[in-house]
Amino acid sequence: MSARILRLVAQWYSIPLLLVVWQLAVSSGLVESRLLPSVVSVWDTLVAQVGDGTLVYDAGVTIGRALAGFALAAVVGIPFAAAMARSQLWRNLFEPIFFFGYPVPKIALFPVFTYIFGFGTPSKVAFAFLECLYPIVVTSYLGFRGVETRLVWAARNFGAGRWTVLRRVVVPAALPSIFSGLRIALPVSIIVVVLTEMIGDSIGLGYYITVWGTRFTFQNVYAAIIIIGVCGYALDQCLVLVQRRVVHWQREASR
Amino acid sequence: MTIRAATVQKCLVPAAAIVAWESLGRAALLPPYLSYPSSILAALWEVTADGELLQAVSASLFRVVGGFVIGTAAGMIAGLAAGRAPAVRNFFDPLVSFLFAVPKIAFLPVFLLLFGIGHASKIAIVGFSCFFPVFIASRHAVMSVDKVLIWAAQNMGTPRRTLFFRVVIPAAAPQLFAGVRISLAHAFIVLFAAELIGSHAGLSELIAEGDDAARFDLMFAGILAFAVLGFAGDRILMAVRARVLKGQTLGTEEQVVS
Repeated sequence: MSARILRLVAQWYSIPLLLVVWQLAVSSGLVESRLLPSVVSVWDTLVAQVGDGTLVYDAGVTIGRALAGFALAAVVGIPFAAAMARSQLWRNLFEPIFFFGYPVPKIALFPVFTYIFGFGTPSKVAFAFLECLYPIVVTSYLGFRGVETRLVWAARNFGAGRWTVLRRVVVPAALPSIFSGLRIALPVSIIVVVLTEMIGDSIGLGYYITVWGTRFTFQNVYAAIIIIGVCGYALDQCLVLVQRRVVHWQREASR
Repeated sequence: MTIRAATVQKCLVPAAAIVAWESLGRAALLPPYLSYPSSILAALWEVTADGELLQAVSASLFRVVGGFVIGTAAGMIAGLAAGRAPAVRNFFDPLVSFLFAVPKIAFLPVFLLLFGIGHASKIAIVGFSCFFPVFIASRHAVMSVDKVLIWAAQNMGTPRRTLFFRVVIPAAAPQLFAGVRISLAHAFIVLFAAELIGSHAGLSELIAEGDDAARFDLMFAGILAFAVLGFAGDRILMAVRARVLKGQTLGTEEQVVS
């Protein structure tokens, strides 16, 4: 029992330690509290702003946009990757776009997207979609291509049709790669939405951060950062949970 | 003959897009904010000739390279240390797992106050963003080095230093590069946002200027320059990688899984 507690302390001590050092630095006057608000005041702000619903609303906006873009990218991207992996024509047509476009910073298109989709939710969702699409398509495409031909032949040999092969052999074999693509894309969606909200919007956590940042009220900035961190961590854990359920055989195989 | 058909197919979509863009744009069938390729190239030439582009590119490049180098170096040192030493690992792990999902750009207001609106705050925020992917990849890379290799080296009496530099680092190198590649992509995204929000210099400013003045050809010229910069950076990194790691494909187009 005590060994478990000790291990828990050894694994997690750095966050409380940092908070204590932070609080001490501020309350001893070593760091100006204007630059770095005390832990206590950040906590108070967080509780107050969550309590009156301000942060809950903005977080809902941001996470909703991020998830919408992410889900769209997954729904469009995974079948697209499968088509690219299975058909030479699709591969030739679209492979250059994805492999050359991957390292290009797409964020620079921000003004263009604002013109096309307007200032609010649609342009943010479109951006999250675009930035998520690349990792999802590229990783799942490599997953689909990496399916062992032997497996497909074996299934064919047992009399499985095209559709059955796809559903029972190809998709399961590609699932680990699909999920790693999704796990890369999920934080990207949140990052992109917050970032574009910071550049220009009137709701959302990104906007919240810019507004309070320009007023030099950093308690609120840190409160928003904590909310984003918690949401991002929770969403990633949800995805891991889904992954464990869906790809339950992978853990045993990799051990 | 089949090879030529494949080449045609590969160029088909980009070529068709450019032709459609050019002809529809010239015929004024597209909204003006979409501009068209030939006028974008003319604008690109215009800003190149009067030196504006060079100035913007060098400001942006200085920031992105500075932040990238600092952040990557710090992330790699911390990540390698965390991979080898449990004490370091226990210190960083909770912090990184919490902060990883936070867009580092959220700290921009804080950095602006600390470092001002010049180069320093951009370099700091880019470096801060680059730290995390490199840290995670390096930590993971070192921990997944084949134990048999380490045991074999130890068995032959390899000292700790030699073990680290001659066995662990080379074995972890492909994954180290994969982390660096992700951090380079992050660097450009964060730079763009940081320049647009925090200051008024660099390529983002060129893009915003074109936007404000309704000179959409200028705006696209800036976007094009930014895209080329990001693309070139990635290609340079991959070229270095190809020299250092001959024949390894982990972390390249063939294997982008992080």
